[in-house]
Amino acid sequence: MKKRKSDLTFFQKVKRSRTLLLMCLPAVVFFFAFNYMPLPGIWVAFVKYNYRDGIFGSKFIGLQNFEFLAQSGKLLSLTKNTILYNLAFILLGNFLAVFVAILLNEMRSKWFKKVSQTLMFLPYFISQVLVGILVFNLLNYDTGFVNGILTSLGLERWQPYSDPNVWPVLLVIIYLWQQTGYNSVVYFAAIMGIDGEMMEAAKVDGANGFQRIRYIILPSLKPTIVILLLFALGGIVKGNFGLFYNIVGTNPILYNTTDIIETYVYRATMTDFNFSTASAVGLYQSIIGFVIVMTVNWVVKKIEPDYSLF
Amino acid sequence: MAKNKDMDLMESGAKVKLGTSDKIIRGFGYVFVTLYCVCCVIPFLIIVSSSFTSESVIRAEGVQIIPKDITLEAYNMVCKSGGIWWSYLLTICLTLFGTLIGLSIIAMTGYALQRKDFPFRNAISFYIYFTSLFSAGLAPYYLLMVQTYHLKDNYLAVLLPLLMSSWLIILMKNFVKAIPHEITESGKIDGAGDFKIFTALILPMLKPALATIGLFLALGYWNEWYQSSLFLSSKVAVKPLQYTLYEIVNKTDALKNSVAGQFINLADIPQESVKMANAVLATGPIVLLYPFVQKYFISGITVGAVKG
Amino acid sequence: MKKKLLAVLLATTMVASLAACGNSSAPAADSSAPAADNAAAPADEAAPADNAAADTSAIDTSEHVKITYMTTGESPTGTKEKYEEMMAELNKILTEKVNAELDIYFISWTDYLSNYNLTLAQMDGTVDLVGTASDWLDAWPNAKNGAFLELSEEMLQTYAPQTWASVPAENWELCKYNGEIYLMPEDNYAQWTNHGFAYRLDWAKEAGLEDGVHSWEDLTTYFRYVKEAYPDITPWDSDGTQYATMVGGWISSHSDYVSIDGINSGAMWGGTKDDLYTVYSPYVTDTDSLVEFAKLMKEWDEIGVWKTDVLNNTTSTNRDDYRIGKVAAEQHHTQTWTDLVSHTPANTIYQDDEDADTGFFYFGEESQNVTALSITHGAMAISAGSKNPERALMVYDLLRNDPECYKLFCYGIQGVSWDVNEEGLRITPEGYNQDTDNIGGTTNYWWGRNDDLEIKDATRNWDAIDKLYAEYDSIKIEYPYGQFVADVDNIQSYISNINEIHTNYMKQIAYGKYSGTAEEIVAEYQEALKAAGIDTVTEELQRQFDALYK
Repeated sequence: MKKRKSDLTFFQKVKRSRTLLLMCLPAVVFFFAFNYMPLPGIWVAFVKYNYRDGIFGSKFIGLQNFEFLAQSGKLLSLTKNTILYNLAFILLGNFLAVFVAILLNEMRSKWFKKVSQTLMFLPYFISQVLVGILVFNLLNYDTGFVNGILTSLGLERWQPYSDPNVWPVLLVIIYLWQQTGYNSVVYFAAIMGIDGEMMEAAKVDGANGFQRIRYIILPSLKPTIVILLLFALGGIVKGNFGLFYNIVGTNPILYNTTDIIETYVYRATMTDFNFSTASAVGLYQSIIGFVIVMTVNWVVKKIEPDYSLF
Repeated sequence: MAKNKDMDLMESGAKVKLGTSDKIIRGFGYVFVTLYCVCCVIPFLIIVSSSFTSESVIRAEGVQIIPKDITLEAYNMVCKSGGIWWSYLLTICLTLFGTLIGLSIIAMTGYALQRKDFPFRNAISFYIYFTSLFSAGLAPYYLLMVQTYHLKDNYLAVLLPLLMSSWLIILMKNFVKAIPHEITESGKIDGAGDFKIFTALILPMLKPALATIGLFLALGYWNEWYQSSLFLSSKVAVKPLQYTLYEIVNKTDALKNSVAGQFINLADIPQESVKMANAVLATGPIVLLYPFVQKYFISGITVGAVKG
Repeated sequence: MKKKLLAVLLATTMVASLAACGNSSAPAADSSAPAADNAAAPADEAAPADNAAADTSAIDTSEHVKITYMTTGESPTGTKEKYEEMMAELNKILTEKVNAELDIYFISWTDYLSNYNLTLAQMDGTVDLVGTASDWLDAWPNAKNGAFLELSEEMLQTYAPQTWASVPAENWELCKYNGEIYLMPEDNYAQWTNHGFAYRLDWAKEAGLEDGVHSWEDLTTYFRYVKEAYPDITPWDSDGTQYATMVGGWISSHSDYVSIDGINSGAMWGGTKDDLYTVYSPYVTDTDSLVEFAKLMKEWDEIGVWKTDVLNNTTSTNRDDYRIGKVAAEQHHTQTWTDLVSHTPANTIYQDDEDADTGFFYFGEESQNVTALSITHGAMAISAGSKNPERALMVYDLLRNDPECYKLFCYGIQGVSWDVNEEGLRITPEGYNQDTDNIGGTTNYWWGRNDDLEIKDATRNWDAIDKLYAEYDSIKIEYPYGQFVADVDNIQSYISNINEIHTNYMKQIAYGKYSGTAEEIVAEYQEALKAAGIDTVTEELQRQFDALYK
């Protein structure tokens, strides 16, 4: 006895699903209050902000606030760096997280699982400032730990802080080190949710480890992986300021390969504080992310509607 | 239970022989994970031992893996600044309430949004997701909170914004999807309403998901300092932990640079070691939360309610 | 289900009470806002008190108001008790004289620029007095963007008569934008913040520089000597941030360049002593000089004046190391040197070695090119959102000119935080405890200090300091561009990009970390500047100069 959805009017739909709607209500209100209400303020990116006139009374100056980004000549390289790093973080990060979660799942020793999970989580707690200090202590030329070992082995010292080319690799490694514990939690929980009977049946049928992973675990994880990837895509032009700023610091020798949009803007506006410019850059990042996500989500919907974000 | 390496005992009692591929995976797993864990622990050890090392040693030789010239000076400095225990209390309160409230809302919303028979799920999903794409920036947000909501110097300014995020809701939705729809249907057949189905049937099966999201929420509250720096001014006596710790480091800096600096032997003021001590104090408690939450992960495969 | 509901209910109740907690610790700042006397200067207070010390008889002070003073700095924790005692004393006097009390709103150093501007943006009477500075707190951009209240001459004469009288007319001119006064300058306080190198005079003498270091070549000799004679120390453990002052110092040492404040941190535009009103950028024109600089810095890098990874050396604490003799030089300004040259307990070099002495090689010594500090380097403004601007002015007038208030605010309670010795200099009294009694470093009153009321610190080495000040006074010129408030709306984007280029190149050049020859890197730098539009900016500034000065 199925009534076709299109047969119902809007109000009938509301009435039928009123409990579910109510269950969504707190979240809807939350996002309205904290995310949608400030949105009109995005107008500040298009005005010359005057304290007395407020955001909406200030003089409209069109795209002028976006100029400094465009004129720097660096916009392309900054965007490229940002996107490439984020791609590396997202892809490698998720790969490693899945890898670790699967491995851990195969372990039988509960004790080992518990301890190793806690230990893997530790780097996440170390603030970026401290990470910067630790990395410097590790890599610096005069007193760094690595150089200490190199010299005692009779090798030449290594000067990473003067070499822009090693940093893409170094930064990705540092990111993976810090985030994998955290990221793997999601996948571990997802694996926990896999139907136990299926796993048992597979074992009884004689499937070995690799087969189990390939034919049961991975497919079950697919929705989670896709969703996390999709979500991360939206932020592909943003983020990770803390990581870059604290590790690379303000060492211009390394900027070509390590400067991302946010660090550049931070430095540029540090001495010339300007609400409008900051908003303008945020808007630029948001628009690009939006376009990317909408496109990819549309593609995913065509292939497998179940996996799309919305 | 016999500890027999070749046998694997499942809860149903079936005994299955282990193949070599399993052994390879396990062996490799142990090695890889152990190595990785070592990489994770060492920096932490360095931080802990540096927090017990005297400032002059750190300045001269950098951070240490084994504490040299052991001293409690850094911890003294932090605790002396007073208020740190209140900050702990405040942060624990914020974390508890925020996580409880936020988790409830996220779970409800996640469940509703994955119900295929909910006509508005796509619209609401997009509505929620959109917020992660666009943001108006700092100034409009600040002015809204202060001028419209009057939340300046109010702890709600820290509690409310962190209650949930679109990422967490989508994550939860994804976890709930893995629960077979038959469960909801069987509940409906029994005549239960949507909410009752949610609380009585779905929630118990969501334990790993609840633990995960709860953990992330709790971490968010524990680590938070940004909202505090924006909205809690000097008029607020007790501030959340991370911000208080951050301020302690800043005060040391400010003290040195101010006129006042001339009266004290500055080489004695611990600064780097204070940063380390901060890290230990900040992290300590929350690291203990994780094992507590872990039992929901390690509890094994609990899903099995659907028969036939 | 019931348990869950209960839990949620409990949680909500607790949250509500948290909200109440949070609120109650915030003083009701709005309750003291009087409905009346808001914007316009009251018309009935006709008699301008031009010489009366505190003739508030004609002014209505019947309502007790709270004036909030916003400053950068950390709110007191260890010194909280004594701080509150001092404020109570101060407020007693303020209440007596103008029926007002003072409250300090601290902007913590973390992210201070952002929080400072956000608080200004609130415009709801949260702050009245605002400490500002034209060089590091964006005084002029904020004034232009409507953050500060216009202070008419009548207002100042009526409500801040002593300040009005003590600041000469030409200085008031320098505080105007578009004909309106926005700032009350700290113009009666001797302070030199010109940069240079503080160094060990005794070691310089050992190196053969009998008279100390008086040129960049001398410095090179000094560093070479230190590297040999004291191989265990880094001569100057810089943290990589002094590139702008170094190159700026070089330029002023080798030319008559006078820079314009406040356009960008690199101070890249200005005139010359002989021709003040023709704008140019020496970074574009003085190519040979820059090449010399680049070569010298590479030499210093090779000598090993700083650590190899100097550009990432963020944890360095050079100044403290200097005090204990672990480094040979500190690059900073005169004010810092007055601290380092004094025999304070913190400067243990003087206790450890009786020959120890600190000289100061100031940039511009070779060319006798020194500009006095702009009077708006520290100034007090009134927020445009203030509900009690008149009373705020009256409070400031007292803080700045009344001896009792001044001493309390700047030093603390006499006998507890400070005292006076036979010579009339300021010392720490018996039983002084650094952690709890040090008020002087708390109120951060850098916007109205007054030499007429200052009590000199006994621990400072006034012989050396006065000598240097006298030398400065004999060669200095007054800051010539005080009236110039650049209108950068159309060129801001160029300036931001130029900033970035200057920073990036100068870091490499000033620390000798560039690859290739000096000529190449300087040429590259200048090309980048040109591409970013530096000529456009120069032209625009010249246009504005012409409008103002010709």
